[in-house]
Amino acid sequence: MKLEIGRINIKDIQLGNETYVKNGVLTVDKVGLIATLKEDERIKDITIDIAKPGQKVRIIPVKDVIEPRVKITGGINGFPGVSSKQAQCGEGITHVLYGAAVVTVGDIVGFQEGVIDMWGEGALWTPFSKTFNLTVDINVIDGLEPHNHEETVRLAGLRAAEFVGQAGKNVTPDEVLTYEMGSIFEESTKYPNLPKVLYAEMMITQGLLHDTYIYGVNAQTILPSLLHANEELDNAVISGNCVAACDKITTYQHQNNSVILDLYAQHGKEINFMGCIMVPEHTTLSGKMRASDYTAKLVKMLGADALVVSEEGYGNPDSDLLIICKKCEKAGVKTVLITDECAGRDGMSQPLADTAVEAVAVVSTGNVSHVVTLLPAEKVIGKAEAIAVLAGGWEGALSADGSLQCELNAVIGATSEIGFHNATCRLY
Amino acid sequence: MKSIIITNNPLVAEKYENMFWIDGSVEETLVKVRDMVYQGYELVSHPLAASLRMLFSPYRSVIVGRKNEKLDFDHAQIIEDSIIKYKNHTDARKVEESNRDDYKKMDLLLLESALSDEKGKW
Repeated sequence: MKLEIGRINIKDIQLGNETYVKNGVLTVDKVGLIATLKEDERIKDITIDIAKPGQKVRIIPVKDVIEPRVKITGGINGFPGVSSKQAQCGEGITHVLYGAAVVTVGDIVGFQEGVIDMWGEGALWTPFSKTFNLTVDINVIDGLEPHNHEETVRLAGLRAAEFVGQAGKNVTPDEVLTYEMGSIFEESTKYPNLPKVLYAEMMITQGLLHDTYIYGVNAQTILPSLLHANEELDNAVISGNCVAACDKITTYQHQNNSVILDLYAQHGKEINFMGCIMVPEHTTLSGKMRASDYTAKLVKMLGADALVVSEEGYGNPDSDLLIICKKCEKAGVKTVLITDECAGRDGMSQPLADTAVEAVAVVSTGNVSHVVTLLPAEKVIGKAEAIAVLAGGWEGALSADGSLQCELNAVIGATSEIGFHNATCRLY
Repeated sequence: MKSIIITNNPLVAEKYENMFWIDGSVEETLVKVRDMVYQGYELVSHPLAASLRMLFSPYRSVIVGRKNEKLDFDHAQIIEDSIIKYKNHTDARKVEESNRDDYKKMDLLLLESALSDEKGKW
């Protein structure tokens, strides 16, 4: 499978009457976009706005972040199985508006947080303070039940990214990245002496606001599935999850999964990267046992020497992470875990809800309980009342000057468990 | 499958008959689950949610299954660890009053998602 990602570098964004890129400036046809999104009769109002790096702008509550792209050859445009018909992802040429992002805003429940600050301390933590953001605030018609509401907002974001992505259709990319890998047998023949490595990507799949979709299939209903490394990089996986702000994997992060990119970079050099196992995180213990058994079985069937596992969320998924680790280590497969920590404000508490002696190689992506100070914004995109949710956690969180203290937990992508974020770590 | 929902969520109590009502906090709900696990009941759903924000919910519903003669040590470990972790996170926080209705709804929806996973099983 061969995928070429053509990056068109975006240096600025503005609203206008047409959608195009010229000299790195992305112009978006605001009226056209609103009309396209309002084809969905469940949408009452759409508010389009822009947020640029450095501006004193806060976006809240963020539902999802999506990278605008357009398919040039191979597959089909959009998000196959969701916003367009089913097609194979991971082949052909895809143009990416690199540096731009569609950020959807919409509160399905009142306690949603999910903040992106484009400046100040908040900006240091979220990777989406550096992107030129087109914000899409979606208000739905009255009386829509929560599942329908979530689906409306999710689809609107994907369709907006598809609409904006068209701007890259006839533009020559600034850079072309090629991702090519043959069958597992071909690659193993090519690199007989390199350790065979698989990546298991855990996904929150537990119901409303806690879902992930692969080719439009709700991953709660799947057994762990094997994907070619190119598929997720080419729109196969989307987020339906908007509660765990700091460690949820947004669609943008799926499209640019750092673990896949890093393993790809070492493929043929230090490792033989064989592919990705997509692992659902169930809420039932039997589901956790089934998914971990099945993952360990795939790892053994494929003859992997090592496994990298990334978690999504915190709490009950910690159990899945450690059960997978136990089973694979016991089978002689070296297992590395990537997770964030919930270690209290001072970072001194036990970081996970579960432990295992087999977990000897663990990468931390940050402490979600770390407290940050967010300065008062000059402009709030979305729902200003949602800020009260951030500050509502404990006494004294809101200062007289309007700045507020909140845990990293509320900041989008701050402790991304696939490493697509700004925090870094030290080797002990 | 044979199950009992331990809950402090009024929406769950209204909708399901196979439930044990806790007129109290999430912590009291988890403690009841712990007591039942020590009596031999199987833990069907994990006591913790999948995100920190849902840990701050004032409502929680946990599914337990059959009562066996012997205690399942793994399940006892899970519920004990969950109570410790829950207390660690919530001791420093106020109960969130303003979104009680939404938390009730979300707890019910996530519970129903877990119940649907268990459908058709003995």
